[in-house]
Amino acid sequence: MSDWSKVTRPIPVPNEWTLPFWEAARQGALKLQRCQACGHFQHPPYATCVSCMAIDLKFEPVTGKGAIYAYTIMYHTGDKRFAAAVPYASIIVELDEAPGALMAGNLLEAPYTEAKVGRRVEVIFQPLNDDITLPQFRLAK
Amino acid sequence: MWEHRCKIAVSGVGYSRVTRLAEIPLAAHALEAVKGAVADSGLALSDIDGLATYPELPATGHAEVDGISIVSVNCMMAMLKLPHLTWHIQTGSVNIGGAVQQAVNALLAGVCRYAVVWRAMHNPKGTYQNLPGTHAHGATQFTAPYGFGGPGQGMAVAYTRWLEKNNQNREKMATLAVTQRKHGLRNPHAYFKVPLTREEYLNSRMVAHPFCLYDCDIPVQGAVAVVLTTAARARDLKPRPAYLAGYGQRLAFEVAGRIGSLSSYMEGGRSSSRLTWERSGFAPKDVDVAQIYDGFSASVIYGLESYGFCDEGEALDFIQDGRIELDGELPLNTFGGSLSTGRIHGLWHIIEGVLQASGRAGERQVKDVNVSFVGASAPIVQGTTFIFVKEPY
Repeated sequence: MSDWSKVTRPIPVPNEWTLPFWEAARQGALKLQRCQACGHFQHPPYATCVSCMAIDLKFEPVTGKGAIYAYTIMYHTGDKRFAAAVPYASIIVELDEAPGALMAGNLLEAPYTEAKVGRRVEVIFQPLNDDITLPQFRLAK
Repeated sequence: MWEHRCKIAVSGVGYSRVTRLAEIPLAAHALEAVKGAVADSGLALSDIDGLATYPELPATGHAEVDGISIVSVNCMMAMLKLPHLTWHIQTGSVNIGGAVQQAVNALLAGVCRYAVVWRAMHNPKGTYQNLPGTHAHGATQFTAPYGFGGPGQGMAVAYTRWLEKNNQNREKMATLAVTQRKHGLRNPHAYFKVPLTREEYLNSRMVAHPFCLYDCDIPVQGAVAVVLTTAARARDLKPRPAYLAGYGQRLAFEVAGRIGSLSSYMEGGRSSSRLTWERSGFAPKDVDVAQIYDGFSASVIYGLESYGFCDEGEALDFIQDGRIELDGELPLNTFGGSLSTGRIHGLWHIIEGVLQASGRAGERQVKDVNVSFVGASAPIVQGTTFIFVKEPY
């Protein structure tokens, strides 16, 4: 199992598009940007709906259940801040409610060898500091 | 078909020395490559009246310093002091292939007569791909906190999806790395001068699974350049020209910060190649030799499939059994690819496509080439494709 205790992660800096995502995460909820015209969920947040061009977008809660769309096992220790966790699994998750909206994360609470395309995962929340909590993923219970 | 097919040609090509790290400023590499291309054409520097490049430094977390880590058009203008300069551009949205295409358009518009395009690549000291500093701004806020740094990991995730969705085995990629290195040994300008064995590939250290060391091009310092002009003028120059039959660029978009989408690679490659096939009138079955961008090996897989050389999920089988050898059905990356030359981006793929079409590829010349295909970048967000031919039609 990767040892994340010594890893110093870059801290996300919310901007006008992304602030609601991070505010929700701080409160333990996963909310994604949703088009109010066509219902399309998208992530990362964008200026317009990339499906229908509407600009009426709101953040709505999702269950945080999905499947591993793709992953990599990182062995390279180029950035020393992550060296303690190597090898670790960085995964891309496609959520059930938001096909095409790909979320990055790490596979936590499991050996990196458990990362496989198609495996079911669920969101968990990892506080980085008082302001920022990272949505992360673990194998679905 | 494109009304301008075969109206523009590539004439001379030029190379700088390629070193692992900077021994001389990058600007000197670019100058060496540009002078070489102009001389290869039989022109004088004062004949050059158009300049184009894509100057980006793909290493993350390093400063862009003109002349040291990038070579802008302005830097080249300062070095060359061209008396008859009439046109120049730096491209952004489609990598170095876009700079070549802009030069083509400028020549067709008649706003310059002899255009030089160069690509200069710097290898900064220290780690090539760094995560951002203590904070992740913009699109990186959704990737860097999870340890996603450079483009290698982005391509690695899509590759795991491709492998597992298609029930494929990464060990088959050894054929690509070994064959390309064999081709590269016939390229006097390549960085690597020794063969690569299948065992070395299979036993090499993992970088970002499924990529091992030999799936990644080695960062180097170097530059290459080409001279483009109209077909009529090219015929009067020293080397036999290669005629541009058609080109395309990716039309699929990607949202910043969304990484790993295999379908985005495929849509990017399909859109670019469709334009190229339609404009040239050729189809994949007509291609005699292909250069497909291989900054990371999997890019070749996405290219072969999205350009239509084989079906989706089949590329790792397609490259086996001698098919990509110099005498194979589809000789591939015949100059060794970036995996042999070092990381100079796609202008070297374009150069090789040109040399194969014009019969100037020396010891690695494929027999009876007329249709020479180039995919000059990873198909996803910067993809461009080209077809060069020996005989205008």
